[in-house]
Amino acid sequence: MLSINNITKVFNKKTVNERVALDGVSLHLSPGDFVTIIGGNGAGKSTLLNCVAGSYLVDEGYILLDGENITFQKEHKRAKYIGRLFQDPLKGTAPNMTIEENMALAYMRTAKKPFSVGISKTDRDYIRTRLESLELGLEDRMKTKVGLLSGGQRQAITLLMATMTTPKLLLLDEHTAALDPATADKVLDLTKKIVAEHSITTMMITHNIASALECGNRTLMMEQGKIILDIQGEQRDGMTVEDVLKLFKQKSNKEFDNDRMLLS
Amino acid sequence: MELFLGSAEQGLIYGLMTIGIFISYRILNVADLTVDGSFTLGAAVSIVFTAAGHPVLGILLAILAGALAGTVTAFLQTKLKIQPILAGILTMTALYTINLAVMGNRPNMSLLYENTIFTKPVEWLGSWGKLATVLAVCAVCVGLISLFLHTRLGLSVRATGDNEDMVRSSSINADVMKFIGLALSNALVALSGALLCQYQQFTDISMGTGMVIIGLASLVIGEVVLGWSKLLLIASVAGTILYRLIYALALQFNVPVMYMKLVTAVFVILAISYPVIVGKAKLLAQKRRTNHAIDQ
Repeated sequence: MLSINNITKVFNKKTVNERVALDGVSLHLSPGDFVTIIGGNGAGKSTLLNCVAGSYLVDEGYILLDGENITFQKEHKRAKYIGRLFQDPLKGTAPNMTIEENMALAYMRTAKKPFSVGISKTDRDYIRTRLESLELGLEDRMKTKVGLLSGGQRQAITLLMATMTTPKLLLLDEHTAALDPATADKVLDLTKKIVAEHSITTMMITHNIASALECGNRTLMMEQGKIILDIQGEQRDGMTVEDVLKLFKQKSNKEFDNDRMLLS
Repeated sequence: MELFLGSAEQGLIYGLMTIGIFISYRILNVADLTVDGSFTLGAAVSIVFTAAGHPVLGILLAILAGALAGTVTAFLQTKLKIQPILAGILTMTALYTINLAVMGNRPNMSLLYENTIFTKPVEWLGSWGKLATVLAVCAVCVGLISLFLHTRLGLSVRATGDNEDMVRSSSINADVMKFIGLALSNALVALSGALLCQYQQFTDISMGTGMVIIGLASLVIGEVVLGWSKLLLIASVAGTILYRLIYALALQFNVPVMYMKLVTAVFVILAISYPVIVGKAKLLAQKRRTNHAIDQ
């Protein structure tokens, strides 16, 4: 499915601020894998996702998706089959456009005719049924501007948009971190439901070790641009947050430094 | 009466330019200064072909030339990563030379007895001929653009100005959308210039100077008057007609023409900074109230 081979990414190369964000990372995902990624601040989690999505080009190594080499493919081209959510709920939707217009944009991934009607009757019906599945009552507010919605509602819509046409790969970069706890739970449940329904291969960064263990079938821990832990299968079942922290200490010879992670 | 008719005619002509500025400034969220150059470009192309006896062809080629100018600005912005404001200024500066060249290295050209697109309508309808012509052109443009903005492509262009991050992560090529938006915007601006030159039978190399500001002023007036409705394109045209009317009235009251650009600029500054000024005033009032309450 996704095959990341020995990729390296260095920022501010050959200056005093040089920082190796990814240091020879390799990772292979099988179809339907739901990987959660944890790690300290600046460990390279977001950089990894940005490299897969094409926001950054890698300095070394290559990335294959379904056997196709996407290492140098442009971001918007990859976006045809890679869905993506950011931490900032404002990033995924256009505030001055209505809910249905936003959804229609996501729906266009597959459409070929640029001059056809933006939102046809059938599009509108389909958008409505998708919105109903959120159970947030948004299906009755389709002509509302997205800018008037709450962060949680916007993130839920972004999630729908990213999965409107089933993507090959879904990238979630702490997509619930900016939401209040109740809303965060709701969006996370929604994520699990949608991912399971369409068995989408997913990579999710989270700052919550408990939910990292609870979601998906595989957990990676990153530190200093490397994947230092890859837990799956039997080893992962029944693992607790303490076990993970202990493993981290063993592997990296230091305490876990992400306060946000320990406090949540 | 003549004053109103003239204002309506000119308002409809300049209204096309305002719609162009609406597309770049409001939809794409870019202050595109190409306008000052592409307006004259449209007028220059139009007058050269009209002088040669092809007024309609002149209008069509002016539209094409304007679109091309917009494309150049978009190229500077997206592919060469030049800041949007500077990209517009660069194209505008380059166009000065090109506009002179189009008119055969003359700074101005006038028409005497050549036919323009207004000739026939004036024969048929008399003094209403010009108004009917520009009204028809304007109506067609408003209709087409309004349709375009509701197509899939149109939605994508709007989204690009609204949230580029989102567009990038949703398989739309944001750069291409900027090309389309700026080409469309400057095509309209050039059309406006092309119509004006046949209307006044005259093109001057400096006729585009300050057009961006005049367009913005018209846009703001339109939004104040008709902003509550969803008819933003019509609001742009209506705003321009009102601007022309105010302009004509000012001339009636013997305000020197040379003052008009300053007045327009100050008006645009006030209109755009209105929320800031009101916010500051409110904060000051609140401070005074609070201090007063503490003193008590």
